[in-house]
Amino acid sequence: MTEQKRARIKADKLDTGFGSFRNVEVTIGKVIDEDWDEPMGPTPMPGVTTLRDWDHKLLTKYEPSYMPACQLCCLCTFGKCDLTGGKRGACGLDIKAQSARIVLAACNIGCAAHLAHARHLVDHLIHEFGPRYQLTQGEGVDIEAPVSRLVTGIRPRTLDDASSILDYCETQLTHTLSAVHTGQEGSWIDFESKAFHAGMVDQVGMEIADLVQISTMGFPQSDPEAPLVEAGMASMDQSKANILCIGHNVVPAAAITDYAMEHNLQNKLDVSGICCTAWDITRHDAKAKIVGPISWQLRFVRSGIADVVVVDEQCIRTDIAQHAQKVNAPVIATCDKSCMGLPDRTNDDVDDIVADLVSFKVPGVFIGDHNKVGEVVVKTAIAVKPKRKGKTSLPSKKKIQELAQACRQCSECRRACPNDQPIMEAVLAAQEANFGPLGDVYDECIGCARCESACPNEYDLHSWMVTAAKDRWMNESYLVRTGRGAIKDTEIRAVGQPVVFGEIPGVIAHVGCANYPDGGRAIHDMCEEFAQRRFIIVLSGCAAMTVGTIKDDEGKSIYERRSGHFDAGGVVNVGSCVSNPHIAGAAIKIASIFAKRNLRGNYEEIADYIHNRVGAVGISWGAMSQKAASIASGFWRLGVPVIVGPHGAKYRRMLLGRADRAKDWMVYDARTGNEVQIAPGPEHLFYAVENMEECMVLTAKLAIRPNDTARGRAIKLSHYIDLHERYKGYFPDDVHTFIRRETDIPITLKDKIHAQMKENKWKERPIPDPTLLKRMVFGGNGGSK
Amino acid sequence: MMRAEPWQTAEVCGPTKAQELKKPVVVGALLKKAKHPLLIVGANALTEKTRKKSMIDYFIELSTAAKIPVVATSNTIKAFKEKNFDNVYSHGVMEIAGKLQDPDWMVAPKKGPHDLVMTFGYPYYMEWLMLSALINFAPQIKTITLGRYFQPHATWSFPNLKKQKWNDALKEILSILGGTK
Repeated sequence: MTEQKRARIKADKLDTGFGSFRNVEVTIGKVIDEDWDEPMGPTPMPGVTTLRDWDHKLLTKYEPSYMPACQLCCLCTFGKCDLTGGKRGACGLDIKAQSARIVLAACNIGCAAHLAHARHLVDHLIHEFGPRYQLTQGEGVDIEAPVSRLVTGIRPRTLDDASSILDYCETQLTHTLSAVHTGQEGSWIDFESKAFHAGMVDQVGMEIADLVQISTMGFPQSDPEAPLVEAGMASMDQSKANILCIGHNVVPAAAITDYAMEHNLQNKLDVSGICCTAWDITRHDAKAKIVGPISWQLRFVRSGIADVVVVDEQCIRTDIAQHAQKVNAPVIATCDKSCMGLPDRTNDDVDDIVADLVSFKVPGVFIGDHNKVGEVVVKTAIAVKPKRKGKTSLPSKKKIQELAQACRQCSECRRACPNDQPIMEAVLAAQEANFGPLGDVYDECIGCARCESACPNEYDLHSWMVTAAKDRWMNESYLVRTGRGAIKDTEIRAVGQPVVFGEIPGVIAHVGCANYPDGGRAIHDMCEEFAQRRFIIVLSGCAAMTVGTIKDDEGKSIYERRSGHFDAGGVVNVGSCVSNPHIAGAAIKIASIFAKRNLRGNYEEIADYIHNRVGAVGISWGAMSQKAASIASGFWRLGVPVIVGPHGAKYRRMLLGRADRAKDWMVYDARTGNEVQIAPGPEHLFYAVENMEECMVLTAKLAIRPNDTARGRAIKLSHYIDLHERYKGYFPDDVHTFIRRETDIPITLKDKIHAQMKENKWKERPIPDPTLLKRMVFGGNGGSK
Repeated sequence: MMRAEPWQTAEVCGPTKAQELKKPVVVGALLKKAKHPLLIVGANALTEKTRKKSMIDYFIELSTAAKIPVVATSNTIKAFKEKNFDNVYSHGVMEIAGKLQDPDWMVAPKKGPHDLVMTFGYPYYMEWLMLSALINFAPQIKTITLGRYFQPHATWSFPNLKKQKWNDALKEILSILGGTK
């Protein structure tokens, strides 16, 4: 049962009547968690179909709109199958189900990446600290793992508990993955339901990953004043040996800083990170630095600043070893998921490995022992720096001008660019020593280097952009607040009521990758706009870095200007990708702490609560990965709407509500059991916007919830109307649909709204105690779902 | 360049691809045949021009001449409203791609469900995906893209055109529909 857990005894040496044993580990049956008096809810450790009814409710209200990237299926040897024009493939799937299958595949992949990361962390930390090591999110956090409690019914108090929870997650992922196989699931709605399940499981896995690293690795523990750390390419001290760590799993990077500290070598080294390892290494050691988001890998490696490149897992450029080799920077692969074709030197002598790397006998190595990684990397960086002499693969402007003369003007660079940047035109300008246009392209470049692969002249076009913009990035330095971890229960207690009543108009989470349509400034501007409007802004991952790159007139980043407290106007960085469940957890804790709802194994009720009451909106402006898909999916199942930037349309499926269909917007009033008409809010569950302007308006609108009090509704409507007028140029024509009673009307807009209400024959509606679940009606009016 | 292949090199589709719009007169013929055409305009129209004319002005002329309602997505609607153009409706780009899959949906009451949609003004990949939704799930609708680049998921699309040829084509379309030249 879910409240059970194994007891283990581990002894280095055990003397018995039978003899003497070393390294003995014994598992003794099961122990009941008797301390926890919260009753178990109806769905502990839900299986793939346990929450299917809830999923179907959401998927009926927010029906998928598919935009297939491919009209064929080529996954089995029956195919390729042509799915155009209503045709079915040899397995029986039509294009709608096939499209849903692709969504599930993406969520499975993303979930697997996080789960494998979590499993590695837990196994590693059990090895280091033992299974009974106590877990904590820090002072002021009694609900240490709200997502895990909600889903599994387990309180993870030790590393062993964490391992048990991952056992559950791994089982579920196996099931959802198997559903993608040919001849399994056949219905779009059930593929989608399983995608929601994978997303929910992903949230649990990420929560465990962050909980165990917070508990054991010296990270800030739910600290709103987590350190401000240096970021930007100019923050590296180039007089020191520079170590660049790329990826998401902090264990190797932590081994590096730990080794340097233990051997008093910190003054000789700068350790920096790209992508989520950057956040987590600064959470472990605030002296470490952040280069930037995922898209800055090539520019930084090619700059030659890094003397050694260390890769762990996820979102690494898979050709990074080739690029590092061009600047004589040895590469150390550290994760079994990403060996990069490098020789396995895990069992070799450290000095032998270092000698081979420093002499450039090998371009890099794979080392699976993290402690050895620490020693090898530090020794290699210090020894190789004078030999490398800062070698760069960036060409001079003179060289660029010379090479540019032979441009064939074929446009292949532009056609390969995801953002349709005028690269060819910039190259032609460089023929005349005008490097401004190349610098402009740099500002909007996502660092994919597809232009280079496409160029028939094999120009290193990304490097050309980096050279053209050198004056900019050489001065790029700013301060960002590293990840604080969980939101304190006390903070939730303070804001729970104003969030649920709508007086704090919403919680907006900017998460995810750096696949931006036009640079990253939009994220900063959106955060600042909504922070000024007293929304709570929560951040994680690469988005959290990008927000910090913009400085105000006084040279301060948003993290210096704004509080890190989870409160109105706060800008709260929770940390890396695996910190995302702190955001979902905050919403869950509002249900628990403010509304006193039981969490334990009670997913459906809590999701229903959040969907109808907590004005949370997720935004992933540069969503790129399958992990971002599964993270979003975890929010969808909780009923939290997610907006993605334009490139997010490539997830190929939106979840759209129909504001014009009144029947879609009915809830039960839990007080009476009556079905009640509500306003269409939140209108969509997953939506790709065209640009920042659309995102601003939609964000304000999606924060509206059926449970808003009159005052809360009026506040939310004021923001929606104001942003709509600013960006769309007119008073929105749907305001009357959000007015339930006169008291919902923002006082300063009374005349306009009254006129609209009259024109549309508005009638007063009750403000319900909203639920989609009939069984939640008081007095048992329903009894079934 | 006059190639009927996707402008973004990897954006190939499936067994079917758009018919090449070789002659603007085809657009006129299609519009005459359509009962309830719709023009969908995205935010790139705010910055693009055909000759010296803003694309907003161009579409106002086109809409007026052919009596086609316009859906202006995102902040594009502001530019139409500022020019006191009324036959314009606001929907998000993903919303309109979703709603058009409903064969009973129409942009305004009594206008009738749409059978022909023209699009312009989106990032290439976004228009590609929007058109994918329509070609796969709105078989009752024919689509025409008016941008310079070939969109394989449309029913009809220009091939990848040089600016001058594209300008000429747009001018001719407007002329055929009775708008100013």
